[in-house]
Amino acid sequence: MIPHDILTLYSAKMIEYGIAVFFLLLFIPFWNYVQSSAVATAPATAKVRVPAPATDWFGLPVDRLFHRGHAWLKHEADGNVTVGLSDFAAKLVGPLTRISLPAVGSSVGQGEMAWRLVADDGKTVDMLSPVDGTVVEINGAVAANATEAESDPYGHGWLLKVRPNRLRANQINLLSGGAARRWMDDVLVGLRGQLVPSLGSLAQDGGAPMHGMARAIDPEHWDELAGALLLTGKEERHA
Amino acid sequence: MNSPTARALDSRSWMNEKFFLGMNSREYLKSLATPGDFIAGLIMAVGIPLIVYRFVAGLGATTNLSQTNPWGIWIGFDMLSGVALAAGGYTIATSVYIFGLKDYHPIVRPAVLTGFLGYVFAVLGLCVDLGRPWNLPVPILLSFGGPSVMFEIAWCVVLYLSVLGMEFLPPVFEWLGWPRARTWALRMTIGLTVFGVMLSTLHQSSLGGLFLMAPTKLHPLWYSPFIPAYFFISSIAAGLSMVIVESALSHRIFQSRADHTVNTDRIALGLARGASVVLFCYFFIKLQGVADSGRWALLTTGYGCWFLVEMLGFILVPSLLFAFGARHSKVMLVRWTAAWTVLGIVVNRLNVSVIALNWNVPDRYVPSWMEVMVSITLVTMGVSMFRWIVNRMPVLKELPEYPES
Repeated sequence: MIPHDILTLYSAKMIEYGIAVFFLLLFIPFWNYVQSSAVATAPATAKVRVPAPATDWFGLPVDRLFHRGHAWLKHEADGNVTVGLSDFAAKLVGPLTRISLPAVGSSVGQGEMAWRLVADDGKTVDMLSPVDGTVVEINGAVAANATEAESDPYGHGWLLKVRPNRLRANQINLLSGGAARRWMDDVLVGLRGQLVPSLGSLAQDGGAPMHGMARAIDPEHWDELAGALLLTGKEERHA
Repeated sequence: MNSPTARALDSRSWMNEKFFLGMNSREYLKSLATPGDFIAGLIMAVGIPLIVYRFVAGLGATTNLSQTNPWGIWIGFDMLSGVALAAGGYTIATSVYIFGLKDYHPIVRPAVLTGFLGYVFAVLGLCVDLGRPWNLPVPILLSFGGPSVMFEIAWCVVLYLSVLGMEFLPPVFEWLGWPRARTWALRMTIGLTVFGVMLSTLHQSSLGGLFLMAPTKLHPLWYSPFIPAYFFISSIAAGLSMVIVESALSHRIFQSRADHTVNTDRIALGLARGASVVLFCYFFIKLQGVADSGRWALLTTGYGCWFLVEMLGFILVPSLLFAFGARHSKVMLVRWTAAWTVLGIVVNRLNVSVIALNWNVPDRYVPSWMEVMVSITLVTMGVSMFRWIVNRMPVLKELPEYPES
């Protein structure tokens, strides 16, 4: 009588069942591993201050369109547009000694370098134009005294008047209203993370944003930080 | 002002705005003078005449295909890999509209566009490969051939291409400024998504099913009665990985068109979690296929080593890397792993259709330079079309006047 050897008869099936059981045993810890996060989060019992919305700290007038390089644009009745730097940009880089503006008659391109901010320590940060066009006027008061742009960036501190040549196409890439506020909130979340990285997105204890925030974060390389936030770092930009 | 001249001027400025980004023809041509455009133009300048030559002189003059090896890289790469990598459309649409994962809504449109263009150029690759491409409508309209897997694939691809085209209509209508048409197109979304996932399940698996009738031709390690399931499951991982790669590249290249309020890093990590689980399951399912065939001894052969490279290097390792990257929020690792997984899917499809097919026949197929050039041309055309559409239509970012629905 030949003994029935189940393992011989069903060796392939034994392996298959073994693989299936092995898979199930591995799958549960694998699933738990994948679904969990190793990045430290604030404990649930800790009080988390909800960060203030961007409009509490930085002006975002509703009649302006914002480029993600933190320049703004305003339509004028004569068909031209007024262009300037945002409140955030002014507070990020300041105090300034000079703003180098392009010459009247020169061309500017959306996403291309348009003017240069020169700080009191000699470092410079470029900013991008929010629009394509030709410069028809520059703000002489700002060219003479950069603090005008810092103190009133949306009013007397305007920088250029531009005759646009692709305004409708440029506007697709600009933000206003709710979209601008959400974008600014995201910028601030990133900035707060740099202020106190170990605490993640917890807010600071009150206070208004200081002039020259970039220097407060990184005194030595603040110009590189500001350039990264204003999108004039080393990467090439396209409109 | 309603004079013919005024209407002509309005029409010209509409064309300028919609097609030439608001520039006149001279400015538009000047804007195309970039290194990338030059390379793409060079590729198409060589590739398009080659495609014409293929149709004039025939397959024999342009390819190394033969009676023994009737399928080459136009099927293995352009068709099979293209269709697998275009699976991002149905995976993301299903995740968002059926499973309710609204966090991934910002990537639905780019995923659908990638899928649509993937299928368009996969079909173009098929047409270039077919001996008589003018007979393509025959299985659709004239002679059905129900028992044939190829018949099912033909119908599914035609229908799914239509589904993808209709899924992409809302951004087209937004671009054209037709709000009513857009609303009508949006109402079809859920139905199209359900139909799309049904069709994808059918044809993704059926492309693998084509090889069921070639058990003596396909190497035993790759041949399995479960090959349709392999193709379908791997298409899910392919789609997720392709969306991670496409999302990373699009947000970098099209920065000015992208919505910077969208957290693409978080989306990539979420997709990586899904891809890691799918790849993990896929690995064990393929292992079961090897166990079922009882061909463990073949793993020590040359082809066996290559099979192990595919299994371990392109399935298990990416699964573990995705899991590690997602858990530790390492977005760059996730993106590189996704690119590696895309490569792995291409390797798998080429293994099944070209490398491991006719593995024991002396007459081995090596693609000709013309075949390679045509494939590169088709990919370049697809990428150029993607870029053209993204630069004009609201794909990466919604328009303020058409809020998210």
